[in-house]
Amino acid sequence: MMLLRLSRTIFIVLATAMALIICQGCRPKPKPQGELGSISGMEPGSDVAMVSSRPGELDMANAQRGMFAPVLFAFDSARISSREAAKLPAVARYMKANASKTLVIEGNCDERGTAEYNRSLGERRAQATREELVKLGVSASRITTISYGKDKPANAGHDEAAWGENRRCEFVIAGP
Amino acid sequence: MRQSRFAFIAVLFCAAAVLRVAYAQVDVVKGAGKRAFAVSGFSGDAALAEQVTGVLKNDLRLSGYFQLSPPAGAEFVQSGSVRGDGSGVAIECIVTEVATKQAVLTKVYQGSAQELRRVVHKLSDDIVQAITKQRGIAQTKIAFELTRNGVKELAVMDYDGYNVRQLTHDKSISVRPKWSPDGRKLIYTSYKGGFPDVVDVDLYTGQRRRVASFPGLNSGAAFSPDGQTLALTLSKDGNPELYTMNANGGDLHRLTHTHGAESSPTWLPDGQKIAYVSDNLGTPQVYLIGRDGGEPTRLTVSPSYNTEPDWSHPPTGSEMKPMLVVTSRLGKMQIGIYNGGDRSITPVVADGADNEGPSWAPDGRHLVFTKTVNWRPRLYLLDVMTREQIQLPAIEGDASEPAWGP
Repeated sequence: MMLLRLSRTIFIVLATAMALIICQGCRPKPKPQGELGSISGMEPGSDVAMVSSRPGELDMANAQRGMFAPVLFAFDSARISSREAAKLPAVARYMKANASKTLVIEGNCDERGTAEYNRSLGERRAQATREELVKLGVSASRITTISYGKDKPANAGHDEAAWGENRRCEFVIAGP
Repeated sequence: MRQSRFAFIAVLFCAAAVLRVAYAQVDVVKGAGKRAFAVSGFSGDAALAEQVTGVLKNDLRLSGYFQLSPPAGAEFVQSGSVRGDGSGVAIECIVTEVATKQAVLTKVYQGSAQELRRVVHKLSDDIVQAITKQRGIAQTKIAFELTRNGVKELAVMDYDGYNVRQLTHDKSISVRPKWSPDGRKLIYTSYKGGFPDVVDVDLYTGQRRRVASFPGLNSGAAFSPDGQTLALTLSKDGNPELYTMNANGGDLHRLTHTHGAESSPTWLPDGQKIAYVSDNLGTPQVYLIGRDGGEPTRLTVSPSYNTEPDWSHPPTGSEMKPMLVVTSRLGKMQIGIYNGGDRSITPVVADGADNEGPSWAPDGRHLVFTKTVNWRPRLYLLDVMTREQIQLPAIEGDASEPAWGP
């Protein structure tokens, strides 16, 4: 009985292995390529039952940049040093005093590092900054994060000083 | 007791056999047995003949299979004629194998004058197919990110760098394009709406759809080999994690649950597993996970920074195994092939410039990648077998994040 079960197990594993090897070659034939159309419009995805989508459009009409100094980061890191964390109470105070405002935290990286990983790293930096502000009493629902990866440098230079400026989270105040 | 241990060992052995199948070793074949090919040119309309000859020679050179040579000593010789009038061009081409004096190709091609390059690319692929029995790349396209004055737009070009067409005109940031398997769509990350969203665009109708616009980051979308599913990065539930969803929206499944940031998914050709990047252990490394989630397997161990994985999709009927290419940081960025057996990485582009973001051609032999010199990124092709790098023609602006179409 055990021997039968054992043989069946081996057979299943071998059959799966064979199927994997055979299926590696299967791909749909590519369509012949015609002229590329020009692009217009931007309709939302067809499935309205998406799990959750961005809550409404932020009121960016009166968005203000540069009210608060950006939080800076060490190379390859999303950790907020105590020196940088000292910039945050001013932001928290403002947010608590201005209930109609929302905060957008933009996470960025310097130009070294690969593009897509930097989008995730920039997002981690923005989220880390948000976490600190939540600890300081700002409601998380009032804070949105946007990562630009390395695509929006503050300083177009190519040295340590420029890179240090670019590894940053910027604060944008939105709302009426 | 002994029987269950035997079963365990048998299962391990079979699992190891399956895993070894998935990762190919990379052998460099310098010179790679290139076959001497003489292009004699085309009689008829001299101006057209010059154009046709130029495109043909470039295609044969880029294929990696041929060494252009004078007729003396050539293994294959091409001859032909080209005619043009108001309605179009007609190209007649004969390729003869010298040793047997047999024609391996005798064909006439017709098209409009505007389509000249496309017609010659078809001829080139036919020559490659007839002589090598391999699928050529001359008719393929490369999508990429075009940067000018801080604005990033999507563009597409022929594989040889010609016919660059800007696709988006949003004056925004559009990045990280990837192709659908049928070549009909691109999916990419768009900031047009003020936030990073995953957007797809039908290249024939021009229609765009916002496919993922959750709070936080939506990026890195990659089509499964059957075109039905997307793998992508979302940060809506915490730090950036890996998800799958239906390519038309909905049916969202979360695959990873880590304290680190995931990104950059790429599908194995069998559609069952996904390689991706995670910095959960401190610095980014490449992992493998089943399409339904579960326990991930770490692939890369060193150096300390490995990103931008891309699985090759060998052509149907080919004996090639899928190869995983990655971008590693060793001082500068370099491109290498991952070896599953000992988890090492064989460098294929490591020359002191920053070389990153490789994307496989559908022949499983060529790559397109971004080389940055003096902080200016531009696109290069690589023949992985010979390690030859081919610089693509300069364009106005910077080019990066290329994706080679099917």
